[in-house]
Amino acid sequence: MEHFIETIGRNMFAIFGVMALVGALLMIGSRSAIHSVLGFLFAMLNIAGCFLALEAEFLGVAQILVYAGGIVVLFLFVVMLVEMSKKKEGEVFQLQSRYAVVAVAGGAALFLAVFRKAIFGAPSPEALVLRPELAKGLDVAHQNAQAVSRGLFADYLLPFEILSVILLVALVGAVVLAKTERV
Amino acid sequence: MPTPTLTQSIVITLIQCLLVVIFVFVVVPLTVFAERKVLGHLQQRLGSTRVASGHIGFSGWMNRRMWKMGRVPVVSYWRGIPGLVGDVLKLILKEDIMPAKADKFVFFLAPSISMVAAIVVFAAISFVPGTFFTFPTWFPYLGGLPVSGGISDINVGLLWILGVATVGVYGIVLAGWSSNSKYPLLGGLRSAAQMVSYEVPLTLSLLAPVVLSASLNFSEMSSHMAIGMPAWALIPQVIGFLLYLTCGFAETNRLPFDMPEAENELVAGFHTEYSGMKFGLFYLAEYINMTVVSALASAFFLGGPWLLPFGLQGLLNPYLPGFLSWFGAPHAIFFVAKIIFLLFTYIWVRGTIPRYRYDQIMAVGWKYLIPLALVNLLLAAVIRCFAV
Repeated sequence: MEHFIETIGRNMFAIFGVMALVGALLMIGSRSAIHSVLGFLFAMLNIAGCFLALEAEFLGVAQILVYAGGIVVLFLFVVMLVEMSKKKEGEVFQLQSRYAVVAVAGGAALFLAVFRKAIFGAPSPEALVLRPELAKGLDVAHQNAQAVSRGLFADYLLPFEILSVILLVALVGAVVLAKTERV
Repeated sequence: MPTPTLTQSIVITLIQCLLVVIFVFVVVPLTVFAERKVLGHLQQRLGSTRVASGHIGFSGWMNRRMWKMGRVPVVSYWRGIPGLVGDVLKLILKEDIMPAKADKFVFFLAPSISMVAAIVVFAAISFVPGTFFTFPTWFPYLGGLPVSGGISDINVGLLWILGVATVGVYGIVLAGWSSNSKYPLLGGLRSAAQMVSYEVPLTLSLLAPVVLSASLNFSEMSSHMAIGMPAWALIPQVIGFLLYLTCGFAETNRLPFDMPEAENELVAGFHTEYSGMKFGLFYLAEYINMTVVSALASAFFLGGPWLLPFGLQGLLNPYLPGFLSWFGAPHAIFFVAKIIFLLFTYIWVRGTIPRYRYDQIMAVGWKYLIPLALVNLLLAAVIRCFAV
């Protein structure tokens, strides 16, 4: 019994990972757009589970909060409002499928090329931080949120702020587009 | 104190889950009954005083006598309680109708998402900091092991609660969509917009306790907000408390914010097409969500398992004489009492304030509550920076 539970506990990441893949397949494969959104939601929740299995509690819960709680709800909202007819949908997908396969294959090759070292290489002994003196006295394994906030607000403050400005630009742009369409 | 093995700790966790489920299934029916009674008194009537079979036996005889004498029978006042059993039986036994053109899978999924999201939140709520009780040594298998006051008091407990609670919105939206009918769809869309917008001030108002206590852990936050800080630093959080409660009302779709089911506009909103226990799950989820909101409000603003709210416990504690030291220690009874008081407040508000119009709800949320919550957060940050 003990051994069995331990084995499950050790392989939690793999279990959640496989379930996330199943969710992603459901998202691609299902006919109805709402079912796709549901598959996406399932995949997102399982990715949160993967983070939790890796003891990255903060990231896991933030994944639930941001993706499952915010973004997928908006997807659902938009899909429910913009109901496409079944036939039109099928045609669009058939036209795109050839290019989509090429794009995905190219994207995967690029991804592997860039992250080759991170995936197949040996794990680095220390986390990459620009100012290690800030992380002193921080128990990263048990103070997830503090560690992430050190990273965001001390080590990588400028990229973080630039990112939020980009998001703001996107927001303003969306408002402008919506306004001009109505007039 | 012996350390539990892995299997033992899992068994203990299952026992805790069972306790939480029992707590929920005791609190929810009693809230329903209290709602009938309190609403009755708010509207100058008695609420439910009898069930159909209330005419037999001694108390039935006394009832009839007292009604004949022109009085409200004392025995009769509580006789509506068996009606709760009737309600549950009716929900379970009633025919489960599914609309012919409904999306069957999603129609089935929606109530379960609502229910699961409502009850999983309790995983991170700790009723008492530290140990709740210890198994006596004669107990088989688990003798001498401690049971902690929360199922898992994780470091990011508050985020877990907020995140899982937001998943509950899918239940309502999907129920509205899968019914394949106009009123539920409108109810679902309304609720999606309402809940997503009220989540912002809700989270912002909960950020003030996070800033003040510098933690995301549930029991750490509640003890910081109860005894860890001087009272004057916490009393401004009355604003935060009221903000949180308002947003909590909107999040749980209670009056005056019950847009998803606004009866006179949308028949019954998102659950128009639901019947039987599927409707029962939505009903249950709504009341569990009310309990969760009350639990958070009492933990972060009303002192949680301690006696006094708003940091006043810290003022009181040094002056407590020895025989009253019970009032200085955390206890689950205080927590539950506060939850019950806040549930009463829910019913009280429902009986007092009429429903808002939809555009008014959105205006209140975006134009007043969010700026107010930001000001409150700034206040907390200033106090944290200069004082604590």
